[in-house]
Amino acid sequence: MSGGYRQQPGGAGGGVRKDGKRVAGKLRFTPPGAGGSRPVSDPRNLDGIPESVGGNEPQPAGHHVHDRLRTGTTVGQATALVDANAKITGQAWYGDDVRLPNEIIGRILRSPHHYARIRSIDTSAAEAMPGVLAVATGEDAPKTFGVLPVTKDEHAMAVEKVRHVGDLVACVAAVDEATAMEALGAIVVDYEELDPEFDPRKGLEDVDEPIHWRGKYHVGRTNVQKRVHQAFGDRSNIENAAASSRRAWRFEGVHHGFTEPHAVVAHWDANGRLQLYTPQQVPHYTHRALATVLDVPMHQINVIRTFVGGGFGGKSDPFPHEMCAAILARKSGRPVRITFDREEVYWINRGRHPSYIEVKLDADEDGRVAGLDVDALIDGGAFASFGHVTSYYNGVLATAPYELGSFHYTGARVWTNKPASGAMRGHGAVNTRCAVEVGLDDIAEQLAVDPIDLRLANLLPPHSRTISGFRITSNGMREALRRVREESGWDQKFRNMPLGKGIGIGCGFFISGSGLPIHWDPNRFPHATVHIQVDMDGGVTVHTGAADIGQGSTTAVAQVVSEVLALPLDMIHVRSHESDTSPVDLGSYSSRVTFMNCNAAIRAAMEIRESLLNAAWDMLGYHPTTLVMVDRRIVYKHDPSVGVSYLQALHKAQEDKGALIARGAYRSPPMGGVHKGAAAGLAPAYSFSAYVAEVDVDVETGLVKCTRVWAAHDCGKALNPLAVEGQIIGSCHMGLGQVLSERMTYGRTGHLQNANLLQYQIPSVHEMPHVTPIIVESSDPEGPFGAKEAGEGPLLPILPAVCNAVYDAIGVRPSSLPLSPDVVWGDIQKRMKSEGVEDPLDLESPRLTHGPLQEKLASRAEEHYGRDHARQRTEDTSPYVNGVLFGFDPTRPIDEQLEGWAAIDDPDPESMAEMGYAGRAWLKQEQRHMEGDD
Amino acid sequence: MLTPPFVLHRPKSVEEACAIAAHLASEGRPFDWVAGGTDLLPNYKWHLNPKGDVISLAHVDGADALASDRIGCMARLHDVATSEVVHPLLAAAAAKVASSLIRRSATIGGNLCLDTRCFWYNQSEDWRRSIEWCHKADCGTGADCRVIPNQNTLCVATYQGDMAAAFMALGAEVELVGPNGERRMPLEDFFELDGMKKNVLQPGEFLLSVHLSEDATSRVGAYHKLRVRETWDFPEAGIAASWIPGDAGSLRVASTGLESIPGLHADLVDAHEDWTEKEGRKRLSKALQKAIKPVNNTVLPPRYRRSMVSVLASRALRAIMQED
Repeated sequence: MSGGYRQQPGGAGGGVRKDGKRVAGKLRFTPPGAGGSRPVSDPRNLDGIPESVGGNEPQPAGHHVHDRLRTGTTVGQATALVDANAKITGQAWYGDDVRLPNEIIGRILRSPHHYARIRSIDTSAAEAMPGVLAVATGEDAPKTFGVLPVTKDEHAMAVEKVRHVGDLVACVAAVDEATAMEALGAIVVDYEELDPEFDPRKGLEDVDEPIHWRGKYHVGRTNVQKRVHQAFGDRSNIENAAASSRRAWRFEGVHHGFTEPHAVVAHWDANGRLQLYTPQQVPHYTHRALATVLDVPMHQINVIRTFVGGGFGGKSDPFPHEMCAAILARKSGRPVRITFDREEVYWINRGRHPSYIEVKLDADEDGRVAGLDVDALIDGGAFASFGHVTSYYNGVLATAPYELGSFHYTGARVWTNKPASGAMRGHGAVNTRCAVEVGLDDIAEQLAVDPIDLRLANLLPPHSRTISGFRITSNGMREALRRVREESGWDQKFRNMPLGKGIGIGCGFFISGSGLPIHWDPNRFPHATVHIQVDMDGGVTVHTGAADIGQGSTTAVAQVVSEVLALPLDMIHVRSHESDTSPVDLGSYSSRVTFMNCNAAIRAAMEIRESLLNAAWDMLGYHPTTLVMVDRRIVYKHDPSVGVSYLQALHKAQEDKGALIARGAYRSPPMGGVHKGAAAGLAPAYSFSAYVAEVDVDVETGLVKCTRVWAAHDCGKALNPLAVEGQIIGSCHMGLGQVLSERMTYGRTGHLQNANLLQYQIPSVHEMPHVTPIIVESSDPEGPFGAKEAGEGPLLPILPAVCNAVYDAIGVRPSSLPLSPDVVWGDIQKRMKSEGVEDPLDLESPRLTHGPLQEKLASRAEEHYGRDHARQRTEDTSPYVNGVLFGFDPTRPIDEQLEGWAAIDDPDPESMAEMGYAGRAWLKQEQRHMEGDD
Repeated sequence: MLTPPFVLHRPKSVEEACAIAAHLASEGRPFDWVAGGTDLLPNYKWHLNPKGDVISLAHVDGADALASDRIGCMARLHDVATSEVVHPLLAAAAAKVASSLIRRSATIGGNLCLDTRCFWYNQSEDWRRSIEWCHKADCGTGADCRVIPNQNTLCVATYQGDMAAAFMALGAEVELVGPNGERRMPLEDFFELDGMKKNVLQPGEFLLSVHLSEDATSRVGAYHKLRVRETWDFPEAGIAASWIPGDAGSLRVASTGLESIPGLHADLVDAHEDWTEKEGRKRLSKALQKAIKPVNNTVLPPRYRRSMVSVLASRALRAIMQED
């Protein structure tokens, strides 16, 4: 190896004076190729290299296809997020931090009515005011948009009708905020008020003026936006149920409660291109919607994603205010900034749907889940948003992790005159999951068995198919349950604690990236693309469109590139802010980024790796298969003293070509069934989780305090355990908000009564329990280095775990959320009345004496443990489909084996109406079927 | 959201403060007093009855006095909560107010003169426009009360200050200063049953300090507060009680967070001299519950808050008897 490389060599002791100081011009340069801030290469960290390729990292779940790319650099190590410094030093630029020369301030005029027709808008007085530079109304942008192409029902500003208090009517741009506010007051709008509807249950009835009109696909004259029906399995299984639990739940709507309010800056640059700065989770869909609404081609728009101060799904729609800013900027010729007040954040909402969910569970005499019936009526508010998908998710994401004898789902989403609901962390799965898990606890109680054993004896194994055809790959559910049971001391505590103290279990199942992109693409566009560029300085620039919303996606991408190329993290520079330079990425929703984007990044990094190894082959004469990448060096496997530095190899590879450029893409494999809605809930992998929560309930006041949580989450492989633990603890906090105190309160007049952070009660640090995060690694065969999602799934189990713990504490099973003290107190009063108890302190805690089924379930669980272990390590590769537990042969299609077992396509409206509110949506016909019959 | 502009006056003494107030009054300029500003300024930001002039008491000499017998209006809640000279009941109640950040600014005077709250009232201007305003901030429309419709004579907004109940239980007196000189009265007489008028302060008058008698130091007290979160939240109900141990007749019980003003329940207490017995305590708690009628304008429903009165009261009574 040559000593110097355009720099003076630094021999041992050379250039150092006797007093230890360096001699000018004789600096001790680091060896060539030593990029980053460390002067010499680190030895290989065998603890970070899997067993399968000779390292020390244990792999209980088996080897992984990416193992050979592991260099022990960063993957699996607790790593501070790469943007942490920017955030903690205040240098991160959020939406409202963008300041452009000459910018002016935009403000939005909002509807004071729940539902009204706009007769006229007179903006002349506002336009004439000094300091006002532009005024816009719905007429300026008549085209509709929406995040889902099938339900584009939003306008930049109201056209014809306003649909909720706070709906956008007009907007103004002025030299300052005060002038803009004054101008809003000068806009005269003539409204004709219409009858508003706030109760989703009434949305199923015909009305004169439905909130939207879908033409021939409209369901009667109702406010039903979407209705869903799915049925699988053998209904005869539930006829002789040994235990049955049916509960009608009421879930209040909750909001994401992110720190940063929405803010946007729009600027039409010197070349007439739109530069739009916005904290978006999904910049690509905003990009598409802007093109539609503004009527300019996409290439004339540059969407610049600022740092995002929390999103949780609340910044994943294209938003009307983004259109407003662009329209105002175009009209005024000046950059326009719009920043929301907190109240406006609640009015644009997109939080979790307020829901009426009815869940019926039946178990047979063997303790198998013979039937799961779900009926979910969800309150969509005034617009569709993600609702089409939510309507499905409320049912289909309940089809695992348990093996089901039958599954029946009716769902409906209705429009009401309230701010639109949309996607929020755990999208669509959270409420139903809570109802199902509480139902299972009820079943366990009836069967006199331990609820953890009941679950363990009914789990789907790894590499199996759910009842509705989802392909489950890795599955750490069993390990998660076993670990929380052990660490929480479950067996000593459950049904054993004094009144007011309780412990409960809840499980979760969530998608790791939605299998189909929102925009149907005949051209098979990839879901994620990553570009990598390496120039002579050795720094690696990674271009991705993945939006880091605080979850750490930028860090994850940097980590996988750093791992493959064996470079320190400070040599990886991720550029993800601009659509001009970022390849298309579908955005940060459905927990897809780590899975899809990191897979794309690995592929791109592999290309760079290959170029480097080939260059080293040229220089060393050893074939790439015998070369190993270590920290900033490429060495011969059998003699690590033979090697070249990373920079030497890079410069060799650059000869005659210049910078190395590589591209990697990810597209999920084809999968799933063919029934209607089969694509909803499909994912290339699924995450699993099990939580145990401990609560203290004040039986006199009904105040519930969650004190301890043991939270096991199967994230496949924790690329960054620190970030995974952060996601688990953060999810606990968010879920606790929904289960204990958060609700969007609509008063008797239909107004949102608590559009502020004082009365919308997000738990404080005092309400936060001590959470023990437990990471379960099931090594997903298709995940990047085995990883799956950890951003949304961890939220699901906390709700039912707390609900079940409350039952353990006071013997009252909740059926509505949040468990605010008045609700719990009311339930306690009811129990006291029914038992004739005067003082709540005299109530008895529930106790459990194991029934005869207990032993049977425990031994089945033990049996399944062996089965799952073999399948997880692919020692057993036989097919497994939901139904095997009920005696079917997995090698033959189930519906061939038993007549009763089928997907029911042709629903009978009358019987569906018995299911619950959503089922009743099927009593109406679509307009297209109504022609000619009076 | 913009705070409406106002002129801030910063007097250095009580006399100067009164002079400024008199001057503004003579010019017909409405004004507000401000101490810590943690209540007034958020309300201003929501355009809740903002005034063009604001007189700050922050620099008034001696207004931040903190002693066992006298607490100035500018004494910060944080200082009260951590003080070793004030009565432990006051320190405990102050420690339960809002959050640690707010307690650093918020004051005793501000807490006693807290504006009443109502979820039809504590809303932005756009929001209140959409309900066509309410009686408390009717913007000249003569709007009806939204809590109890068809009555626009009385505002039923809820008083949600914590300190008032604790002070009342200790028998505190307030010292008011204004254009007509000083006056002193028991704290329970300071409040006036109307969510808008709130208290007896005359135009140009302000609360200068709170006085505690010798009797207070020998009292043992407790304050129990109902709230969903252990920080930030205003009391949904609050009961303070104190007595001179051994003297059952010395019991004082006050409630807050339940009605438009905090209340001292002297008559009820007198009628239940057997409160030191378990049954008597129960009867007194129930009687308190019966006497208090919250309305539906805070986070938790009124029926529940009312039921909690007896729970909080019996807990407070048990606590001051230092029984468990």
